Amino acid sequence: MKRLLNWLRRGHLERDLDRELSYHIDRRVADLLASGVRESEARRRAVSEVGGLTQVREEVRDVWLTRWLRDFVYDLRFSARSFLRSPSFTVAVVLSLALGIGSTTAIYSLVDQVVLRALPVYEPERLVLVDWKGDQVADTRGSANLMSYPICRDLQMQDRFFTGVLCRHLTPANLSFGADPRQATVEIVSGSYFAVLGVRPALGRVLRAADDQPGANPVAVLEYGFWRTQLASAPEVVGRKIWINQQPVTVVGVAAETFRGIDIGEVPAVWIPVTLTAQTIPGWSPLNNRRNRWMQVLGRLQPGVTASQAQVGLQPWFKAMLEEDTRREDFPRITPERRARFLASAIAISPAPAGHSSLRLQFAKPLWVLLAATAVLLSLACLNVAGLFLARGSARERETRTRMALGASRARVGRQFLADSVFCALLGGSLGVIVAPIVLQTLLSFLSGDAVGDNNLQSGVNSRVLLFTLLVSTAAGVLSGLAPALQAGRDSLISSLKERGGTPFGGVRLRKAIITVQIAFTLILLVGAALFVRTLSALTGKGTGFSTTSLVSFGLTPSRNGYAPADASRLIRRIHDDVGALRGTESTAVAAMRLLTGGSWSNPLTIQAQERFGTGRDVRLNAISPAFFATLGARIVAGRDFEERDSLPSGATGWGAAIVNEAFVKRYFGGRSPLGARICLGEGPGRKPDIEIVGVVANFNYSGLRDESEQAYFPIFAGRPTAGHFYVRVRGTPEAAFQSIKGALHAADPSLPITYFSTVEEQVNRSLNTERMLAAVSGGFGMLALLLSLVGVYGVMSFVVTHRTREIGVRIALGASRSSALWLVLRDAIVMIAAGTAIALPCVWALGRLVESQLFGVRPTDPTTFTAATLVLVLTGFGAALIPAYRASSIDPTEALRFE
Amino acid sequence: MPSPRFPIPQGTLDMLILQILTLEPAHGYSIAQRLEQISKAVVQVNQGSLYPALHRLEQKGWLAAEWKPSETGREAKFYSLTRAGRKQLAIEKESWARLTGAVQLIFNEGGRS
Repeated sequence: MKRLLNWLRRGHLERDLDRELSYHIDRRVADLLASGVRESEARRRAVSEVGGLTQVREEVRDVWLTRWLRDFVYDLRFSARSFLRSPSFTVAVVLSLALGIGSTTAIYSLVDQVVLRALPVYEPERLVLVDWKGDQVADTRGSANLMSYPICRDLQMQDRFFTGVLCRHLTPANLSFGADPRQATVEIVSGSYFAVLGVRPALGRVLRAADDQPGANPVAVLEYGFWRTQLASAPEVVGRKIWINQQPVTVVGVAAETFRGIDIGEVPAVWIPVTLTAQTIPGWSPLNNRRNRWMQVLGRLQPGVTASQAQVGLQPWFKAMLEEDTRREDFPRITPERRARFLASAIAISPAPAGHSSLRLQFAKPLWVLLAATAVLLSLACLNVAGLFLARGSARERETRTRMALGASRARVGRQFLADSVFCALLGGSLGVIVAPIVLQTLLSFLSGDAVGDNNLQSGVNSRVLLFTLLVSTAAGVLSGLAPALQAGRDSLISSLKERGGTPFGGVRLRKAIITVQIAFTLILLVGAALFVRTLSALTGKGTGFSTTSLVSFGLTPSRNGYAPADASRLIRRIHDDVGALRGTESTAVAAMRLLTGGSWSNPLTIQAQERFGTGRDVRLNAISPAFFATLGARIVAGRDFEERDSLPSGATGWGAAIVNEAFVKRYFGGRSPLGARICLGEGPGRKPDIEIVGVVANFNYSGLRDESEQAYFPIFAGRPTAGHFYVRVRGTPEAAFQSIKGALHAADPSLPITYFSTVEEQVNRSLNTERMLAAVSGGFGMLALLLSLVGVYGVMSFVVTHRTREIGVRIALGASRSSALWLVLRDAIVMIAAGTAIALPCVWALGRLVESQLFGVRPTDPTTFTAATLVLVLTGFGAALIPAYRASSIDPTEALRFE
Repeated sequence: MPSPRFPIPQGTLDMLILQILTLEPAHGYSIAQRLEQISKAVVQVNQGSLYPALHRLEQKGWLAAEWKPSETGREAKFYSLTRAGRKQLAIEKESWARLTGAVQLIFNEGGRS
């Protein structure tokens, strides 16, 4: 402890000591002069008696301060000076480490935000997600982990396990403060939401249990960022009215600044109670319906109760509820198999300290894959640096020997090398911290999906990540420095002080081992990159099955603007005709569900052909206008397309005709013609199939590029669409199209906002975000790894040739051919490359199984990919070794031997 | 012919310094002069170890240091024994007596036979 204090006071202590010593010396000199000794002689004797000023100072310093800390600081200063003298080496090392550490920091930062970080709420570790495992026999609206509102209310009474239960649902809606409605994300929540999470208001109050009772006043709570940007943090917002889909709602408060919802991928603008569901999602009244699943349910466990205890404890109640559900009158009539599946369902309770997010569900696995790849790259960078340091170490042989001859221990010299590498690592780490936000920004651009609102991801580096970087830098430094530090001073003192190259070939063996491992890592990264690039090109090459050039898409939801269903349908029909009449439009179509967003409308069907049967599983459904397939460029392979007569309502649902796709025919008709067969929605004895199949369309992707589902389409105008997704094939640029379409919309209704407008190509790209991210990042890593290995192979081969110059000279002088000298060097390189490949093979096989789910069109053990990657690596390594090999073969024996 | 000088171990130097300071506080130079007297007498004291020893003893808390005007008028750093230092000196003296006593016994035994 005292030593630590001394460290801080050392300037003062040094001056004190100097004063003390000069007093002593002056007294001694005075005495010597008095006894007749000459001045210069007196001074010299006085100093040598005391024992030499420098030595005394050193020894006293040893008393004051811990030895190793002092030495370490000295070493760092020494390192800094020597690195400044060899700039190219320093740049190579620092750059390698900066890239490795920077990318690791960026990706860890992303993983931390998307997957790991807990919500900024009260005791997030007690939050759990309640989910239904099994067939829920319910209509779905939403992303994942959905349950019905009545279940949420039932769970709220299970106070043995939960202190509180909340449920929530995110949906887009039109918001306005009087004029100019704009689209925003709104979160519909139970009254218990804020209480369970433990979130306080920044202004006014938050929602409470009384707010979701039927007949309560319509209220809303604003999100802090929304309040700040849209209302300039106006303090009198409490009590103001906000219009949600043309319905006035009173603002009662603003949530705490740090709370941005429970979904990292989407931040809502306002929170409203469930009583406002009918206004926010027009035409949807699920509050008392047990067969509508649309809300995520989260609960806060009682203290001392674990998630698994709650899960086990709630099963009996759950099973009893299932039984009771089947006896209710609103339970649909279903097949006995499906009923059995329903009764076999179970409740699942899992910890959810980070809330619920579909972004996380989508990206968690790819991000872990990237983190693993980054770890490999970092190891590669460290190995590269270790190799460079070993080279530098052997170049400093004589310095090392001299130091050891002067009394330094092996450990002392080793510490010097360690200080060198820690210095570089810290420098690389700081550079990496600067590089990381740039990399992070690029990655975030891949993560931005179709969400209407902002996500909560930040591109800055916070303290937790900074600490991580520091740890990684130090670890990198220690690891890179370990090899040369251990290597230092291994051989005997005498042999190495000799003039001639007493080459420490033990050092070269270590370097070769390092290069071999580097090659193995590089091959792993290259194979990974090749697999992901092939996946991406397979998906883009496959395409959607329809033509995406010059195709734009936009959406309208008139019901949110107060339109009654009949008026909404008329409006959509009118817009469809108006846009179709525009000059720049080649063809226009409208659909009820949007394509390529990962979502779809699905339901099982009942088919009446030769015999009657149910599909047994969901069929993807959509309702479309007559020119839909023509606009998209999808071929009708049998029967006909929809015509105007199909747009007249008929039958129970209004749809009189349907068109199915080839996959549907293949699965349910075994390739026979389905024309004339009849279908209807849902399964069960009461269903009457009355919709005639009139056509078959070629397969194309509906929900995403990997989608190969069975699909069925109905005529949209025969039903009563309240929202429409338009697809327009345009002549000219999308921007021009946007202008003219906006004009047409404005003419129809100036206050109706477009919910989105983009080209379908952009849509396709966005749907491929994960694949693009994986391909880009792993491709970049692969290139970097290749570069690092190239430098490594060149370096070590160069070193070998330099140190065996004499030997090769002698060989050539004695009659060996030049090509044998070439072979001598290349043989080494071939052995390293072969060994590296052999090590990589089983690793690739093992790791391949982990990434299998991310791939498409290529298996992880695909031999072509592996061979191609190996070929690239071998050629590169060979090329790198060729230059030193050529040098070896052109050695002039007389020059080489002249070194004697 | 000058009498033969034996180098003394570090622990002994510490003890000598403590002993010298039992009388009154002194600065480094006067301690060195006293040691010179001792070494002219019998044993060789390496003065190069003096200042490290002084600072070590100060760090251990057996000596306290203070800057005071010296006999020449100039300020010097005076060391004095602390209570802990006195106790330590007593302990050292006791173990030294025991050691020399034991060695003496062994010599007596050897001489008799």
